[in-house]
Amino acid sequence: MLYSGMIKKKVTILNSSGLHARPSAALVKLAGQFKSDFYIHMYGYRVNGKSILGVMTLAAEQGAELVFEVNGSDEKEALNAILELVENKFGMEDE
Amino acid sequence: MSIPKPGEKIIKGLTGSEGIAIGPVLVVDEKQKKIQPRKIKADAIYIHLQRFAKAKTSFLKELDELTSNLDKKTAEILETQKHIISDREIEQKINSVIEVELYDVEYAIYGTFNEFIERLRESGSELFQQRIVDLENLRDRLILLACDNDKELEIEKGTILVLQDISPTDLVAYHDKGIKGLVMDKGGVTSHAAIIAQSLNIPCIVSTKVGVKHASNSKKAVLDASSGELILNPSRAVLTEFKKKIRELNKAQKAFIKAGDRSETRDGFPFHLRANIEFQQELILANEFKAEGIGLLRTEALLFGGMSRKSEIEQDKYYESILSGISGPVTIRLFDVGGDKLHSQTPDENNPFLGWRGVRMLLDEKAMLISQFRSILKCAGKYPGRIRILVPMVALVEEVVQIRKVMEEVQKSLMDADVRIDESIPLGIMVEVPSVALLADKFAKEVDFFSIGTNDLTQYALAVDRGNERICSLYQQHHPSVWQLIKTTVKAANDNAVPVSVCGELAGDKLGALCLLGMGVNDLSMSPASIPKVKEALTSSSMLDLREFSDKVLECSTTEEVQALLSN
Repeated sequence: MLYSGMIKKKVTILNSSGLHARPSAALVKLAGQFKSDFYIHMYGYRVNGKSILGVMTLAAEQGAELVFEVNGSDEKEALNAILELVENKFGMEDE
Repeated sequence: MSIPKPGEKIIKGLTGSEGIAIGPVLVVDEKQKKIQPRKIKADAIYIHLQRFAKAKTSFLKELDELTSNLDKKTAEILETQKHIISDREIEQKINSVIEVELYDVEYAIYGTFNEFIERLRESGSELFQQRIVDLENLRDRLILLACDNDKELEIEKGTILVLQDISPTDLVAYHDKGIKGLVMDKGGVTSHAAIIAQSLNIPCIVSTKVGVKHASNSKKAVLDASSGELILNPSRAVLTEFKKKIRELNKAQKAFIKAGDRSETRDGFPFHLRANIEFQQELILANEFKAEGIGLLRTEALLFGGMSRKSEIEQDKYYESILSGISGPVTIRLFDVGGDKLHSQTPDENNPFLGWRGVRMLLDEKAMLISQFRSILKCAGKYPGRIRILVPMVALVEEVVQIRKVMEEVQKSLMDADVRIDESIPLGIMVEVPSVALLADKFAKEVDFFSIGTNDLTQYALAVDRGNERICSLYQQHHPSVWQLIKTTVKAANDNAVPVSVCGELAGDKLGALCLLGMGVNDLSMSPASIPKVKEALTSSSMLDLREFSDKVLECSTTEEVQALLSN
């Protein structure tokens, strides 16, 4: 199997409620479907992106800049799926 | 009172529920419950891991039971809680604190969650502040479930419980275990716990401030709730004195039960005394004192533990147990959550008493409202003519119209499904917001009855929070403004032939009951324990005098003047 090492990608949170409980839940659920490890960096913290409590307690508000770190055999697919979710504002903007 | 002996100490408070108790002292100090880092031995690791696993499973099961039939938003919130509890990383961390660091399960949960909670707190994000409360609730619930078994302390019969404050549900649980007295450092005489204590016939004093501090070293005490005193380490003389008093009290109560069948004034005007209750256990006293049914059934206990309602089957059982447990009419108040009655899950409000509660919440939480209507209407079908439905915290005529519409829809759907209902079930409102009293004439055309809730009416009329110790002296149930609002309501009710009753603490107070009857309200509902003294006062008065008395009360401009009238 060919590993490309590790991918890092800078992202900005777009939805108005930030990485609140439900967006966090959606993110963690999605990340959990992939084999790759997924970490999020913010303000010097590094949390497991597959742990809802970890993600939620980053308190990432709208406009927060995060770095996603994905590492594993399906890292490309994982990153793309996650980025799509973030860009779509977790599918819950109109509330 | 005899002279205090060395070691004897008197703690003063206010009477929350009358009576006398002698017994062992149990101090429950919330502060001591703070979780400490406690080490365990290696052979206990397995037990502690198991306890966490079990707590997790029970919590998930609890949430599952709540999730059915909820609106989408609430269900999603619960779904998130489930995610958090099942979080693999949390589980690994907690397990490793137990296995590697050798701490007990309580501290493992506490410490692990706190790491995350601290991070949220440090972020300073306004948006996320509410999540801190949520996480703390989750953490505490898990801890409680993890150590459920060893918290089941044995309680000696006749114990006098001393604590800061207690929730109604906990009080009922302690009552079932046999406590005979209650001392609360906090709270006022109209606090929820004091009211429940009255109807469970548990002597209780409140606002003792230093009870927990001083009582922890004493084994035995005398609680003289009627004079607001807790006597720690009582001398033999004091014990003898109070044992005698208890015997006399018991005798007097028995005499009342024998004599207390007549419910009319000296000159033959009939009146009805009913009971305010919340728990099935309170029926015992209501029946003993011959309450003519339940004038106010508070249903909020069905909601304890959060905004999610218990299943309809549990509601059905609860109403059934009340209806089958007492004869006469039963007025069921729809969920009146908000204010001081709901602990968790609802977002913080700056002014909860002016906020999202009563009918305002019911109309927003349709699923919950419909299920409560369904359950009550089904029960009314089994007991036709006995149930009335009472809507809390109404301020606007439109609210009554909307609520009635929902009720009619539920009635229709039940009839379509061939479920027997009571088609002419009366729908009435609480008169507790001054706007309703002022517009009572208009409301009378939309409702089947009025029930005046004098506790909240007093709070709103005088703009005073009765739970606020600094201003609670301003909470004056006998204030002339409250009487004027009652008078306006009673007049509108009579003009429109709408029945009116009073279910606040004013009805259970001698002066209040006398004046209410004088104004023409002959349907009074109160804490069961108050029935004997009110009955005694009313049966020994004449309507002529009471009318004159109430006319004079309406002339007063201060509470002091009102109270002076009674002493004459």
